[in-house]
Amino acid sequence: MRNWMLYTPLAIFLGVSIFLFTGLFSDPWTRDSALLNRPLPEFDLPDLMEPERRWNRELLTGEPFLLSVWGVWCPTCKAQLAYMEQLKEQGIKVVGLYYPLPVDPAFGEHFSLGQLQRDVRQQLQQFGDPYQFNILDENRRMSMDLGVSGSPETFLVDAEGRVRMHHVGDINPRVWRQKFEPAMEQLQSLADTSVQQNEASQTGVGY
Amino acid sequence: MRALYLLLLLSISAAWADGQEILPFDDDSKRKLYQELTQQLRCPQCQNQNISESNAVVSIDMREKTYELVQQGFSKQEVIEYMVDRYGYFVHYSPPLNALTIMLWVLPVLALLFMLLFMLRRKKQQQQLTTSNAPLEQELNAIIDAYRSKK
Repeated sequence: MRNWMLYTPLAIFLGVSIFLFTGLFSDPWTRDSALLNRPLPEFDLPDLMEPERRWNRELLTGEPFLLSVWGVWCPTCKAQLAYMEQLKEQGIKVVGLYYPLPVDPAFGEHFSLGQLQRDVRQQLQQFGDPYQFNILDENRRMSMDLGVSGSPETFLVDAEGRVRMHHVGDINPRVWRQKFEPAMEQLQSLADTSVQQNEASQTGVGY
Repeated sequence: MRALYLLLLLSISAAWADGQEILPFDDDSKRKLYQELTQQLRCPQCQNQNISESNAVVSIDMREKTYELVQQGFSKQEVIEYMVDRYGYFVHYSPPLNALTIMLWVLPVLALLFMLLFMLRRKKQQQQLTTSNAPLEQELNAIIDAYRSKK
């Protein structure tokens, strides 16, 4: 009884110390996305470079891809372009979701698609272009539906259009190896087997 | 003349104060709801600011959306659910009661109970100490008396 009482404060102290110590290394920015394992929200948005072309959820299904939220105004997005271009060369499909800054007409600011396209083209030429195409999120409503709080943010979407991963911050070799690569490989092998099965069943029907 | 200047100054500053954010509401209850919600919803981009205080892009968008939903007649709970659905529980300042957060409510109560038990037990022990020592005390008194009588 006495011994037990003697060691209680020490045990409490150690418990609190360990709790606070782990807190030193935890990142307040990492939170599980509310969208995890849910399908992409519905959307109908124009292509950034060819605005008459429109994209929606159904057009994005078929193979796993990275949905990268970015903007030319965001320095971290610029920094990750070169590495993401390497990923593209490795056969990773990257789709850009362009996140424009709000413009306030009261301050004489106006949205100009032409200017934006020029800025985007210039930046992608200079720093690398990982994107298959870019979707222009005009009012950032798609971003809000995705729970995007800023940029860069990257989503891993599977072949059925479900969100499998949500990463806040830049994509660099460490993040890719530790976080994305294992999940991406799994999704790609899954997609390949389902394609083979489909082909097999189709040929089966054919004969 | 001076009074006129003062009056002019006053009217200008009042106009500035009003000019911060003018949102037309259908009625006052909606305005109140909007103000309440923007105070209670938390900016996901900044650490610990509500969306009415923050000027991050996401806060501006969330304020706009809140205004839109309130004007559409959404209730307070519905707007909160809309935001939680997208940004997670982080976005609301009062966390829901679930398996993870129950500790926040239960731990202090448990600690209090533990301390009360501890105190009661100690008091009892002290009482036992004083009562059970009556024979010993008699013995001690006898020794003291013997010592005194020797002197």
